[in-house]
Amino acid sequence: MLKRMTNSIMVFMSKFMIACDEASFLISYKQDNRLGFAKWMRLKMHLLSCHLCRKYALQIKQLDSTVSEYRESAHHEPCHHHLSGKACDKMKQAVEEGVNAK
Amino acid sequence: MSDKGKHTLKPRMWVEQHGNYLLNYAIVRVNDREKAEDLVQETFLAGLKAKDKFQGKSSERTWLISILKRKIIDTYRKQYSSKVSSMAEYEQDITDGDFYRTQGPFKGHWLEGKGPHSKSLLPEGEIEQGELREIIRWCIENLPPNLAAAFIMKMIDEADSDEICKELGITSSNLWVMLHRARLKMRTCLESKWLK
Repeated sequence: MLKRMTNSIMVFMSKFMIACDEASFLISYKQDNRLGFAKWMRLKMHLLSCHLCRKYALQIKQLDSTVSEYRESAHHEPCHHHLSGKACDKMKQAVEEGVNAK
Repeated sequence: MSDKGKHTLKPRMWVEQHGNYLLNYAIVRVNDREKAEDLVQETFLAGLKAKDKFQGKSSERTWLISILKRKIIDTYRKQYSSKVSSMAEYEQDITDGDFYRTQGPFKGHWLEGKGPHSKSLLPEGEIEQGELREIIRWCIENLPPNLAAAFIMKMIDEADSDEICKELGITSSNLWVMLHRARLKMRTCLESKWLK
């Protein structure tokens, strides 16, 4: 009786058990979506027992915020790169030709 | 609206006034200076052709950026379709076997050394912002082109996921898998930069 109960508990639990591949997918998925209850539960259960995926979750958050900062800095310092004199002349000439062709 | 409040186009001043701005906008997104310069030039020429369609509702620069945006998306699409003709091919680009165990009792667990090493992706202490930018750029550049396209559209352009799927001709579940793989790669790339 007890054995059967433990067994069914194990079967029930295994529905919530996922490996690192699925957990890391959910960690990434969570950055862009809301996790439903079942997915959230599976992820939580996994994270309880997996120190690598806990680190992974922290790193992915950090990755996304670092890339956001990168995007913002590229917007705020718009003249980090400059057209070379040669490229500039080439473009001016092309535009000039375009204007004259009208 | 009176003509007074409207914006006008001065094509002869474009290169002078918007050249560098457009170049920077493009470089962040295509990660290739030469290609970025070409895109900027194409934008100016396309702008000239479409000059009559300009209604003066937005500024000249905003209008040029919107043309450049279309050009950038086109290059993503070209990169994407030249690289992948089917999902099967894209699966080959990077597989789960690169990161996780594919057999044995620990199937699906991180491969030795492929999981994260520390809690932080960045080294302790101050990092020079310019250096960090260079490293991020380098890591994005090293993503397979299809993953880079999805990652840039989502993270740099902050495009809507439906729009990305439409542009790349993929389903939303494809997109989440691609973003997951892009993040896996980006994480590995950034971490390897600091682990000496």
